[in-house]
Amino acid sequence: MIHFYHVTKRFDQYSTALHDITFHVEKGEFVFLTGASGAGKSTMLKLILRQMQPTEGQVVVNGRNLKAMKRSHLPPFRREIGMVFQDFKLIERMTVFENLSFILTVLGLPPREHKKRAYAALRAVSLHHKMNAYPLQLSGGEQQRVAIARALINDPLVIVADEPTGNLDPDLTQEIIQIFNEANLRGSTVLIATHDRELIERSGRRVITLDHGRITDEKAPVAQRAPRAETLFGIGG
Amino acid sequence: MWVSKRTSFVAIAMIAISLLIVGGFLLVADNLGRAVAQAEGKSRVNIYFDVDATPQQIATVDAWLATHPDFTSRRFVSKEAALARFKQYFANLSDIVGQLDENPFPASFECDVSPVVAQSPAFARQAAELRAIVGVEQVQFDWEWVETLRKLIRLVNLAGLVAGGVLAVAAAFTIANVIRLTMMLYREEIAIMRLVGATERMIRGPFLIEGLLQGLIGAIVSIVLLLAAFLAGRHFLAPRNSLLWGFLFNGFLPWQKVLSLLAGGMLAGYLGSWLSVRESGEEV
Repeated sequence: MIHFYHVTKRFDQYSTALHDITFHVEKGEFVFLTGASGAGKSTMLKLILRQMQPTEGQVVVNGRNLKAMKRSHLPPFRREIGMVFQDFKLIERMTVFENLSFILTVLGLPPREHKKRAYAALRAVSLHHKMNAYPLQLSGGEQQRVAIARALINDPLVIVADEPTGNLDPDLTQEIIQIFNEANLRGSTVLIATHDRELIERSGRRVITLDHGRITDEKAPVAQRAPRAETLFGIGG
Repeated sequence: MWVSKRTSFVAIAMIAISLLIVGGFLLVADNLGRAVAQAEGKSRVNIYFDVDATPQQIATVDAWLATHPDFTSRRFVSKEAALARFKQYFANLSDIVGQLDENPFPASFECDVSPVVAQSPAFARQAAELRAIVGVEQVQFDWEWVETLRKLIRLVNLAGLVAGGVLAVAAAFTIANVIRLTMMLYREEIAIMRLVGATERMIRGPFLIEGLLQGLIGAIVSIVLLLAAFLAGRHFLAPRNSLLWGFLFNGFLPWQKVLSLLAGGMLAGYLGSWLSVRESGEEV
């Protein structure tokens, strides 16, 4: 579903965000992308959404080579992706409902369905009682949940989230991850960038680790991982 | 969308001013056109005598006209009648004329002539014959005035189009700047719209509509101002006894021209906003 082929992203001759990255996320997978700040996670997500183009290499998402994609094909492509931005990117002059309704308008849904769909999406993130609030009237965590509701409202083919639990307490983090799990079960491919080690460990999902723009480690989901030798012999734990 | 209210006001005012100028010229040209249309229905020849022409000379001309059937329904206008008529048409100048020692207006004959006959070569020869009679100062055809008036109308129309056109272009650029400013204010919102898959039509549409509305409002304002100026002019400047003002305030613009002004305003507004939105493409 998401394929990076020898992708390098250079901003200028002194600043290279990604070095020769190759990885693949298959349809229906749930993958965590981790690494310290500045490791290149956000750049990778921007390349997936074609907010920017790679300097070298190819990015293919849902069968589309983004480098060759015409500008006119960008809107329908982006409608297939539910993106949760690190800075939420909610439209401040619109209410929570209007933010969601706008997406449904973009998706071409008739207005009579907007309220029902928006309510269901907000209920999933426990914010159905804040439909008429403006983003700036909400806490950081609440804004993040609205952004998640917006990304998931149409069961997108791909969900890409940049630090979606960064502003949430541990209980809420679990709830949100559960929402991503459910979306994954419904068929969405999920790629989450986070530096929350505990969250990653608990999830048992596939993990790609980035460091200074390079993939330094890649772990398969727990179910597919080979048991460690120490554990096999009953030494470690 | 209406955050930049002050700049929107400037844009609307620019459109209104440019269309007011175009409309003003159109209105003058239109009323002159009406005067021409009225004059074209009948042709008149005026035969003016010398100021000191004798009754005998006038009688000679009267006899000549009687023998030429092309000059139908002739009317004699005495010096006194000409003076009275001037005072009636130009009431505000009557005091000046009253201060003169003698009546400066010549006596004349006014003759109705069929327009076809009046413009034939045979008639021109008869007019030359008339001019040669002693005591006749001038033989004047009013279609010469009509032609002069037509040229004036063309000039007024051209001046209106040039002045209005220049101002309309300036107004379109003002609107372009207003829309550009508005788009800058909403650039984050526009970026979000693009990221969630909104089409360019969805993003740019409201800005194009804003320009269109600014143009429409400007045009409506200009038409209202023009109508107010016209009604005020007709009320205060065009009393029934004044010929010149009576010509200029004969009637308001026909609905087709009013619609053209509205369309012109909308077009200028749309062009202005189109100029700015076409620059706002995504970088990648």
